[in-house]
Amino acid sequence: MRYATLMLTLAAKDWRLFWADRRAAVMCFVVPVLLASAFGMVFNRPTTNAATTRLPMLVVIEDDGPFTAQVAAELLSSLKTDAKVATRAEAEAALPDRHPAIAVVLPKGFERLKDWQPGNTSERPEVQILHHPAAGTERQWAEGVVTEVVMRRLARSKLDGFMGTQAEAAFATPFQVNATAVSTGGDAKFNSYSHSFCGMTLQYLLFWGMESGLLFLRERQRGVWKRTRAAPVSLGCVLAGKALATAAIAMLQVLVTFGFGYLMFGVSVTGSFIGFVLLALAACGLAAATGLLVAAIGGTEARARSVSILVILGISMIGGLWLPTFLLPEWVRDTALSLPTSWAMRGLGGVTWEGLGLRAVLPNVAMVTAFAAVFLAIAVLRLKSDERRLRQGNV
Amino acid sequence: MPSTVALSLTDVRVRYGDRFAVDGVSLDVRRGEIVGLLGPNGSGKSTTLAVAAGVLDAAEGTVTVEGISRATDPTGFAMRVGFVPQECALYEELSAAENLSFFGKLYGLSGADLRRRVIRVLGRVRLQEHAEQRVDTFSGGMKQRLNLAVALIHDPSLLLLDEPTAALDPASRDALFADLTRLRDDGHAVVLSTHHLDEAELGCDRIAVLDRGKLVACGPPAELLRCYAKDRQVLYGHLRVRPPRFLHKALQKRFGTRIELEITGRRLRLSAPTNEDLGMALATLLAEGIELETYRTPAGTLERTLHCGTSEEEPVGQSGRVGDTERGR
Repeated sequence: MRYATLMLTLAAKDWRLFWADRRAAVMCFVVPVLLASAFGMVFNRPTTNAATTRLPMLVVIEDDGPFTAQVAAELLSSLKTDAKVATRAEAEAALPDRHPAIAVVLPKGFERLKDWQPGNTSERPEVQILHHPAAGTERQWAEGVVTEVVMRRLARSKLDGFMGTQAEAAFATPFQVNATAVSTGGDAKFNSYSHSFCGMTLQYLLFWGMESGLLFLRERQRGVWKRTRAAPVSLGCVLAGKALATAAIAMLQVLVTFGFGYLMFGVSVTGSFIGFVLLALAACGLAAATGLLVAAIGGTEARARSVSILVILGISMIGGLWLPTFLLPEWVRDTALSLPTSWAMRGLGGVTWEGLGLRAVLPNVAMVTAFAAVFLAIAVLRLKSDERRLRQGNV
Repeated sequence: MPSTVALSLTDVRVRYGDRFAVDGVSLDVRRGEIVGLLGPNGSGKSTTLAVAAGVLDAAEGTVTVEGISRATDPTGFAMRVGFVPQECALYEELSAAENLSFFGKLYGLSGADLRRRVIRVLGRVRLQEHAEQRVDTFSGGMKQRLNLAVALIHDPSLLLLDEPTAALDPASRDALFADLTRLRDDGHAVVLSTHHLDEAELGCDRIAVLDRGKLVACGPPAELLRCYAKDRQVLYGHLRVRPPRFLHKALQKRFGTRIELEITGRRLRLSAPTNEDLGMALATLLAEGIELETYRTPAGTLERTLHCGTSEEEPVGQSGRVGDTERGR
């Protein structure tokens, strides 16, 4: 009973200290909300109508033949592109700034393509695709669009005499595309805001954990720590109080961030709500354990801060807190399985936009809790060892 | 007034690496007395206080507070000790009352009893009107008074203060000693560390001189003076503003090596073999442009005691035991 009372007293003190600097406290909630909103906006792509996403490109026409003109006209009118005509000089000036990142050049001699015969591989006119160095995906997209347009135009020119007035209908795509997003949660729709709010919440939980650890580190170097050590309160109780306060503020951070996401961007729990609560609790525990770990092994405040920031940013990036992990190389995705951020992110993504049930995210809850327990154990052992050495005069 | 022994240190040794920071110190402190631990930096004063406060374990020897050892009853031990560390041991972001409530709760206080004690100790250190004010808005003197109040919240029998006057101006220092005297009169045992001789001489009932971890002299100031006093006159002063340069040269030019002058921050200590030399040296300093805010010339001085006691000479009244000091009284 006395232990619990003392622990609550210590936690209440940390809660008061947190709110003593109101502006800093408010920033703790505002920053993740702002970043999550910004990330969500940047990566927001409507998934309901794929046709609305067009590839911006320039078309450079250097051949004045009629076949070339027809190909250019079809590229310009394609539903898959947002194309404009430009000169080569204009295209070369625009590409470095990605305005746009792709230019398709139909060079002199392209007209010879109209005389192309199936099986003739010796004389093939060139289509040039100029692109920004970082626009590899768009380059492949452009290549596909150009291939489709040219092959359709060639087929039409060869078969025009046979098909007569039915030619347009004959060369329409002979199948329909029905694209369906598939996830374990059934009718799931990717929501960039869900992803960014999950990611930024987790990242800033860890940052709060770090900040709490740094506060503890600072506290241990002040006179109040001597006074606390002289009081009839065990180190275990002090650490429990510290962890409780950190976790409570972390939970408030979760509520504020997701509350804002729900009200402004419709971020919601489409899967198990209990799963969401368990994951949030586990993540808050992870933040508290991270704080104690920073205080235990951080050494000096400056060193602890710089190393912690590096580690948190690293595990946030690899763990998929910034960008979905499918955009990362396979070895990074494999590595991410050894990080708590990855498990937490997959779990939160699962219960928010993927619509997963409790059973599906329990492994994530267990893994995040296990990481928190390991961090906590290391921190407590180290801090107890430090206290023992301090008491014996081995500073 | 109760005369029970509040703190008892018996042959206490504390090791820092391969050297003893406290080496075989034995000292009893009774309720109703103020004992000053006196010695130069590194003499073991703070370590002795840390052991007495229970934040440091003695490698050898025993430490008891009212007969209770920390090893057998850590809670009982802690409840009887009020510790004032050298640094400001307060949460500056919280108010005075919040600090007192927090530390009071650590000592098991709660409810109306805690509220009553908060009001009482704030009144005791004359801070009742600043109860809800954040500590980071306090002056140095107010912080030190609150520092003391926090140590008193659970009404300990033993009060330990590590260099309590280090950052105080003369008026705040005098006020602190007035507070400590009242606490002594109320039956508390007070142990404080200082390296200012005038404070120890004027504010303490007994002085324990430490050097390199050893207790080299202990007794009432008058007794130590009888043992050691020589004909050297001392003046302690507090400067109003930073002193001009070249004071030492001016004194040396006129008096040679007869006059000693030490200036630490705004504290000044001037010593001379005779009263006449002291007066002339002071006149020289005033002519050079120093401005004294306060000064005092104690009738006797422990200056010589410390010099003698911290040398290799055989000290007198070395034991800190109560019985031994009684002999000299």
